[in-house]
Amino acid sequence: MKKTKSANAAVAAPKSTLKNMQKYKGFYLMFIPVLMFTVAFHYLPLAGISLAFTEYRGVKAPEFVGLDNFVRMFEAPGFWTAFLNTLKLSVVKLLLNTLMAVVISLLLNEIKNMAFKKTTQTIIYLPHFMSWVVTVSVFSLILSPSQDGLVNTLLVNAGILEQGQEIYFMGSKDWWTSIFYIINVWKDTGWGTIIFLATLSGISPELYEAATMDGGTRWHKIRYITLPALSNTIITVLILNLAKVMNLFESVFVMQNDAVIQQADVLQTYIYTQTFNSGALPNYGYTTAVGIVKSLVGCVLVLVCNQISKKIRGRGII
Amino acid sequence: MKKKLICTMLAGVMAASVLAGCGGDGKTAAGTVKDEDGITIPEKITVMVDGTLVTKSNGQQEFIDRWEELTGIELEIIQPDHSAYYDVLGQTIASGDWPDVMLLSPTYYTGYVEEEALWDMTEAWENSELKASGRINNEELIDNLYIDGHLYGFATARGNGCVTYVKKKWLDNCGLDVPTNYEEYIEMLDAFTNGDPDGNGVNGDTYGVSAAGLIGVEEPYVNYLPEFYQDAYSSFYQKEDGTWADGFTEDSMKEALQRLKDAYEAGYIDKESLTNATSDCRTKFYEDKFGVFTYWAGTWATNLKTNLANNGLDSELVAIPPIEELGAYLERRPAVWAITTQCENPEGVFKYFIENMLDGGDMQTLWTYGVEGTHWSTAAETVCENTYEEGEFHMLESLESPGTQYTKNNIDPMLSIGDYIDADPGANQIAEEARESQEIFNENSTLAPSVKSTDEMSQFNGDLTTLKNSIIADIVTQGMSVEEGYQRFEDEGGAEWSQKIVDSLNEE
Repeated sequence: MKKTKSANAAVAAPKSTLKNMQKYKGFYLMFIPVLMFTVAFHYLPLAGISLAFTEYRGVKAPEFVGLDNFVRMFEAPGFWTAFLNTLKLSVVKLLLNTLMAVVISLLLNEIKNMAFKKTTQTIIYLPHFMSWVVTVSVFSLILSPSQDGLVNTLLVNAGILEQGQEIYFMGSKDWWTSIFYIINVWKDTGWGTIIFLATLSGISPELYEAATMDGGTRWHKIRYITLPALSNTIITVLILNLAKVMNLFESVFVMQNDAVIQQADVLQTYIYTQTFNSGALPNYGYTTAVGIVKSLVGCVLVLVCNQISKKIRGRGII
Repeated sequence: MKKKLICTMLAGVMAASVLAGCGGDGKTAAGTVKDEDGITIPEKITVMVDGTLVTKSNGQQEFIDRWEELTGIELEIIQPDHSAYYDVLGQTIASGDWPDVMLLSPTYYTGYVEEEALWDMTEAWENSELKASGRINNEELIDNLYIDGHLYGFATARGNGCVTYVKKKWLDNCGLDVPTNYEEYIEMLDAFTNGDPDGNGVNGDTYGVSAAGLIGVEEPYVNYLPEFYQDAYSSFYQKEDGTWADGFTEDSMKEALQRLKDAYEAGYIDKESLTNATSDCRTKFYEDKFGVFTYWAGTWATNLKTNLANNGLDSELVAIPPIEELGAYLERRPAVWAITTQCENPEGVFKYFIENMLDGGDMQTLWTYGVEGTHWSTAAETVCENTYEEGEFHMLESLESPGTQYTKNNIDPMLSIGDYIDADPGANQIAEEARESQEIFNENSTLAPSVKSTDEMSQFNGDLTTLKNSIIADIVTQGMSVEEGYQRFEDEGGAEWSQKIVDSLNEE
């Protein structure tokens, strides 16, 4: 009986779809440009993936070379350095930024003076709107090893460093990675707090009142009410940002220099160098192959995180 | 009904906007009228050029109008954003709808020759009236553009390069003369670093020299610190016997790196040279933080002088001839005008577009200074606080940057390889210091090596250049010895990649 019903439903479905389309044809009509835009600018360019299997110079017809570009890529030490740097810099940056955003959100949430809270929020949001070029220029000045550098001057005046022994933070293999994380936290943490503050404002005050009546301390409230309420948001933010970890470029590119290239070369800068600094015409075939691998890794990371989310929370987000 | 109508209209507008720009492009037309030499006069020429020609906001339409007036040919200029020029050029070539003429950097020139995308203009040039006119003052430059005995691109001007400027007041304060050899150069840097060259009463608060990077990112690579590199070259070059070599693997480069390391450790070179942009160097120079700056010859001499004066500092700069060990400054290879193999009437385009640029008269003035009344004038007037008499040639105020005067159009008058039939009308408006520095450079420079494009070059040179630059930085700034640096070059595959590229160049 059930089978017959569902079979009937299957036959009826197209009719009902057509009816719906007829009924809402205005909306469908309005959707056409969006569909055309998406196909033209998101799906048609995917045909460019085929370049990864060719020797491409742009003038003569691309020559099919099978998986040669991928073989060359996996054999290139520069690719692996860039690949590992991308993962390391992105993941640590993501974890640090998220952690700091949660901590700052919790601290902001405890502030009762609204004027002070709003002012603080505004101040910590501002760096997000600065371009990376400006941000790195400002930090380069602050960290300069010359007499103009604020940090080195403070270290010298405090007797920690001797005059003439100033640290060249931006050009030091030992310091570059830490400086990269610090600048990223400074720039993006404030913006990252927005979503957590929104979640915090949605927690019922009754839960806190109940906890107070039960003798809960401030730490207990954070541990047993706030953090569990935030956990879903934290996981969602992490997963959404994981999709972007392989796209690290601008922040690294503007901070990169020859001395720290082994620490700072990431896949996007590697692609840039291979395309424009080879001293020959750009071989888009090879760089497309690197780009595909980058996208695939990003995709796998998202799927893995989604699975983890399903296991931890009982549901995924995609 | 109204709703439906609005929906339909909105959808139509959006669809139209999505598809906008997908339309076809006007195609170059070959004319049928022949001139006295039997060359068909083109009806229209399509040109792709970077921002070195006057931009739309700087009176490009007036330029086109004047060009068409002088030739009677329609001119279409495709000018992408200067910084994205080669991206757009690559896309244009890939699309198959090529312009007739395009401006190419040395790398793209040799690359496109390799790809057989450029028309062989050897015969056109050899038989041209321009060559026969005797007005070409640097035929060697054109000879250098030949590839395997054929010419595919034409340069109207030299590529220019960097000359070393020294602050005159600093030399005087230290009681020094212009250095003529490396020993004197180092003596000068030592005095500028450890003495009181700026005369502020404090010893050691300045340093000798600064640069934007220890090695350049494009050829000629070693031009910002030439006194240290001397005869060393970090990339590939053709030796006198015709074989190719990688300069990085030679002893001259190892010695150069030792000189750089010693000077950096002594504090003569700006500690931040690794991370400096050229603008950072200029700012520090204007703030009197260092005294020796190797920078572009010509117009930049005036810019440096003006900015020093604006900061209330002594602005006299000495552009010094190359020191003994250096011998000659390296000149950047010039950009070239090339005709594509898709051009229907290449002979006509060569004659009426390329050859015409150096006609020694009105057309050359148009390419050198722009359009009278828009970019330059001879009227009695005051421009940007400078007063000119009737008949005095002067550049006008920039449309794009009010408050500043134009300096040139596409051809730099001090670098042009074509002499005027009569006198250059704008010769007198060139600042003295610009002319001096340019003359010193022009008389003491040699063209940077040309490199051919090979599959191995395309495959390995990106990684190889990254490795070389990293080793240079390690040796000079991170305490690594030259021997350790070259061991790293072996260990990380640099020597192998270098040899493969050299072999491929020698096989060609």
